[in-house]
This record gives sequence, structure tokens and C-alpha cells, in this order.
Amino acid sequence: MRIDPIVTIAKREYLTRVKSKGFWVATLLLPVAMAALTILPSMIAMKTRASQRLAVVDEAGGYGERLAAKLVEEEKTKPATELEPGRRRKEETAQFKVDLVARSGERAAQRAELDRKVLAGEIDAWLWLSPEGLEKNEVEYHAESVSNFMTQSRLSDVVSEVVGEARLKAAGIDAAQVASLTHEVDLETTRVLAEGSRQEGGMAGFFLAYFLFFLLYMVTLLYGQQVMNGVLEEKSSRIVEVILATVRPIELLLGKLLGIGLAGLTQLAVWLTTMVALTAPAVLGALALVPEDTQLPQVSLVLVLHFLMLFLLGFSLFATLYAAIGAATNNVQEAQQFAGFLVIFLVAPMFFLIPIINDPDSTLAVVLSMIPPLTPMLMMLRIAVKMPPLWQILTAYVLTSAFIVFLIWVCARIYRIGILMYGKKPTFQELWRWIRYA
Amino acid sequence: MSNNLELREVRKAYGDFVAVDNVSLAVPPGAVFGLLGQNGAGKTTSIRMIMDILAPDRGEVLFFGRPRQPEDLRRVGYLPEERGLYRKMTVFDHLLFFAELHGVERRRAGKLIAEWLEKVELGQWAKAKVEALSKGMQQKIQLVGTILHDPDILILDEPFSGLDPIAQALFKDLIADFKARGKTILFSTHILEQAEKLCDHICLISHGKVILAGELAAIKRERGGNVYRLATSADKATVAATPGVAEVLDQPSGLRLVLAANADPAAVLRKLVQHGDVTDFRSEVPDLETLFIQAVRHAN
Repeated sequence: MRIDPIVTIAKREYLTRVKSKGFWVATLLLPVAMAALTILPSMIAMKTRASQRLAVVDEAGGYGERLAAKLVEEEKTKPATELEPGRRRKEETAQFKVDLVARSGERAAQRAELDRKVLAGEIDAWLWLSPEGLEKNEVEYHAESVSNFMTQSRLSDVVSEVVGEARLKAAGIDAAQVASLTHEVDLETTRVLAEGSRQEGGMAGFFLAYFLFFLLYMVTLLYGQQVMNGVLEEKSSRIVEVILATVRPIELLLGKLLGIGLAGLTQLAVWLTTMVALTAPAVLGALALVPEDTQLPQVSLVLVLHFLMLFLLGFSLFATLYAAIGAATNNVQEAQQFAGFLVIFLVAPMFFLIPIINDPDSTLAVVLSMIPPLTPMLMMLRIAVKMPPLWQILTAYVLTSAFIVFLIWVCARIYRIGILMYGKKPTFQELWRWIRYA
Repeated sequence: MSNNLELREVRKAYGDFVAVDNVSLAVPPGAVFGLLGQNGAGKTTSIRMIMDILAPDRGEVLFFGRPRQPEDLRRVGYLPEERGLYRKMTVFDHLLFFAELHGVERRRAGKLIAEWLEKVELGQWAKAKVEALSKGMQQKIQLVGTILHDPDILILDEPFSGLDPIAQALFKDLIADFKARGKTILFSTHILEQAEKLCDHICLISHGKVILAGELAAIKRERGGNVYRLATSADKATVAATPGVAEVLDQPSGLRLVLAANADPAAVLRKLVQHGDVTDFRSEVPDLETLFIQAVRHAN
């Protein structure tokens, strides 16, 4: 095997990809889309909170004033940071303009009149606190849309609080004391890392693991299929024979894997650098775009290096198989039928996503992450959640590398014969014969 | 002087089908060598074995008088019958890639590409994508890609199939130019008229076997003298039954008689006159087609 032609082929594969507009559009679009997906919704939510004109009929008496005050006051006075994250969400979703309506006349008539106002758009909703309702812990809510569960949940919270306070007072108990004694206890999550512990939200860690897992899945699939399509293109355009006159099939295969793999690595490098930069605490603070209580996980360099390593392993493994499929078949339709088998191995790790995130050191997690086709995705997941012992990582890397060498040996044989074979789609038996006799 | 290219008892079978059966051929330096035969005769398989694209089951391929080395192939310009281009690449990048594969240094390759594109009148297309070119232009690019590295041996598999007249003329000029510079050319074709005009050496293969090989002029000298052109009112069957006539070939320009080895032409003519009016009877140097048909019949 000679290095020169491998480099020449890799260079062509790399440059034709990196020089294309599509490559850079995708490379730049993903971080923009990611930023947009994480930052925009909260910005939009802040700007466009649902505002409700709410009519309150306090038939039971003694709650209306307090309720109205509470709904409006909490909004204005409490700075965001003093609120628990869970609470704040709801308040962001609804702002109320409360109109206390006195109980008057026939009950049914007043209710009908309020419904009419809702339909006419004069008010958005009305709340009826009746004595018999409160006894059953129920308050009536009428609105044109009742699917705004966030708003309803907040209303229900505030009504409960007001009613609860009143009941405690009636029983002669100090409501403030009760509130302080029964206050919810939060878990303050700190992730213990070799390079120093730091505070990190549990959800944040989950999302990072989840995100890296899917990013790896996406790029492996994307670039693996690019190899397949590249091989198919060379085969169907009949250019391959000209190339094979100067290079050996294995050199062509390796050059192709190298060039396309490097293109993938380039794209990932841009993405991950953006991520590392954007999630650095200093940058987050400076940006001040992200809600203050959001704890974004920090993406460390070690994590990025493992990700890149696992991409290379995963890509080499699947791309080799994709190359063999491209060589053995005649067109994309035929190739997709074989490629379906491969996707099984890429999708299989998803079934273990939750169990492994929950317990990254379980026997299941350790064993599965050592099985070469599953290693890239599952080891990524484990590393993102909790750094496994070094020996496990190294064993997985070595096993996968050995498996890749074996695959290249097998697939080069299929590739060598298939690439010049036109006509019918080979059967599995024929493929087996190619491997044995090539 | 040793041969530039040689096959020694090469055999290749696909399952039970023997595509190439003990083929031996030798291409001397400076020869224009025609590998001739019908479609499916084994020409492409032979060429692919020369190019190390297929491994022979048996036999040997020699370049420059010794077993083939991987770097020998860089001194070869090869144009397969089924040829393609990278459609999405620019003409320049495409040619640069092939020049580099053949070991041409990048800067020199750039200069060569510019020169060749001018020569084939595609100078202004260097930055265009291959897919923007017409079919004829693409054929020129394929040819330029084959010869950019100035190979010592040119191997062309059915070079004229599907070519437009301009590209055909270009290919012919190129073969003449390479020959004038003392380079060796091997090409395969099933169109015998073309081979007759271009080749000085031939190898006829049929069903994977060599049935006639050597210097074309020598073959004609050897086989000439017993081929006669005949115009007669007698029918073909009668002519064929005439004593001393080994074979009758019905060709567009008239009947050709191949006489038996020790037949006397005058005696044959006397017999023919008895069967009908003979308006033309003359000795003729056989053309390649006659030789081919004769050889195939003989082989069977």
C-alpha cells in the first residue's frame, strides 16, 4: 500500500466537500439554529406573556381582593432571582388584569352575561368562587380556550394559596409561619468532576448527554452515507476504472474514508468550538441572554476530545460498511435496502439511552458500551453523564479499532469485486463468496 | 530489444465461463498494436489484467521486459471503454487530480493542463464544472486526462466507441503523434477498418483465444497471394463447390475467394468460366476482415 495515492484521493474528497457551499451553510446553520432554539423561545416568552382580562366573582366572600392583589402583585415586586425556577416559568406565561365583579341578581343570568362577555371578547375568562365549590375545593373557570394549562396551573396555585391562607387564619394559625415551615426543599445539584466540582443542573447534564448522543448519531449517519453515495457515484459514472488503473482498491477506499472523515471532523470542530465557547461561564455571563437561573452544562475540552475520537471510530466503522454497500449495489435504491441493516446498529443504542443516563456504571451500560458497533454512541453517552474508568474507555477504543481493521479487511474484498460489477444486485451468498475468494 | 508489454499464457475465468484462455501477446516498443475481436471476445478482460484491475487466474503480465511493478502503471495512460468524469468538479481540478494520481508534481501539472486545454480548444473551460460541458467536450477531457502525464504506453479500450467525429479525429491525431514520438500504443476495437488504418501489429482474439497475431504487413504477405476478387454470374454455392476453392467470402465489394494452399489459380479460373460468365478475377492483398473471418473459420 502506498501513501501518495491515498493522500491524493483523500485531498480530493476533502476539498470537494469543504469547497462546496452546502457544507458551509450546514456548518454555520446548525450553531445558529441551536442558539435560536435555546435562546429565542425564552426571549420571546419574556416579551409576549399572555395577558388575560380575568373577571372574578367572589360569591363565597373574602377572597376576591386578596386574589386580585396576589395575581398582580407577585408579578411586579418579586425579582426573578428570588423565585424558584419552577414557579417562575408559570408566571412568565400569564399576566392578569383582574376585574372584581360583584355578585348581583339571578345566578344563572349573571353567569350567562359573563359567558356573553367572553364570547364578545370583552373579557378573556371568568373565575367563580362559590361557597359550595370551595367546600369541594373547586373553583369554576370559563374561557373560550381551556388548553392554556400553564395559565390555569398558575391560577390554581394562587387560588389555593389565598384560600389556604384564609382557612389557616380562620383556624387561628399564622400562615406565614406555616409557609416557611412547609417550604419545598430543592436539590442543589453539584457534579463531581476530576477537574473540580461545580454546580450544574440535573436537567442540563441530561440534555448535554442527549445532545452529544444525537449529534454523534447524526454525523455518523450523514458522513457514512456520503461515503456510500461517493462510491456509488464513482461506480455509476464509470470513473472508477480510470482510478483503479493507477491505485489499488484498498488505497481508493482508505483515501475516501480519510478525506470524508476529515471533512466531518472539520464540521464538528466548528460546531464544538462554538459550543465550548458559548457555554464557557464567562461568555454566558457576558451574553446575559440566557435566563439567569438556567444552568448550562459546561462542555470541557476532554469531553470534546472524546467526542471527536468516538466520531472517528464510529465513522470509520460505519463508513467502511457503507462503502462496501455502495460498491456492491448499482443505485441508491438498491443500496438503501442494505443500508437499512446498518441503521439498526445506529438506532439500537437509543433504546438504552434512558437506562444508561440513569445508571451509567451499570453492568448493562458497561457491557453494551464495549460492543464495537454500539461503542461510539453508548460510550459517548456514558462519558457525557459520568466519566467511566479509564480502562473501560481504553478497552472500548481498542476493541472498536480492532473491529474496524477487520471490517476494512472484509469490506475491501467486497469493494474490490463489487466496484467493477454491474448489473444485478448481489445476494448475501454472493457477497460471502467475494469475501472468501477475493 | 525487449517488448514493452507482454502477456504470457494468461487465463481468466468467471465461474465456468473462460473469458481469456491462455492468451500470449507481445507489444514491441513503438508499435501501434490492435487487440481485435468481436464483442465479448475477451479484449476488455485482457486489458483489465494488463492494468492490474483484474488478477489473472494464471499466467504473467510483463512490462518493459520484467514482471509488472506497481509503479509501471504510472507510465501508462489508460482509457477504459466505460469512462466517466467527476461531474461536480471543475475541469481543471479534475485533470489535476488525475495528474497527481499519476505522480505528476502539482506545479508542473498546472502548466501541462493549461497547455493541453489550449491544444484541444477548451482553454476557456478550465474553471467550468465538468457537467456544464457537452459530450464531445467531455470526451476530449477524458483523453487529456489519459495523456497528461506523457505516458510511455497508451492503452485505449474501444477508444472510438461513441465518439463524435471531432473527437475521433483528435484521437487519431494523438495516436499518430504518440507513434511519431516512439511511444507504444495498444488499443482494442471490434471495428476492423479502423484497426487496419492505424495498426502495425495485431492480435485477433475470439472466444478468449488468440487466433492470429503478429505484424500486420507480415501476416498480409503470408496470407496474401491466395485471395482473389471474383465477379461471376454463377451462384455462391457453385463457386464454393469448385475444386481448389477453400473458402468464399461474401463481402460488400464482391466475392472473395480463398484458394486452397496448393491450388493453381489458372485451373480454378478455367473451372469457374465453365459455371458462368466471369467478369473479374484478380489476386488481392487480403484486408483485415478477410483475414479475421478466415482465421475464425480456421480456428473452428
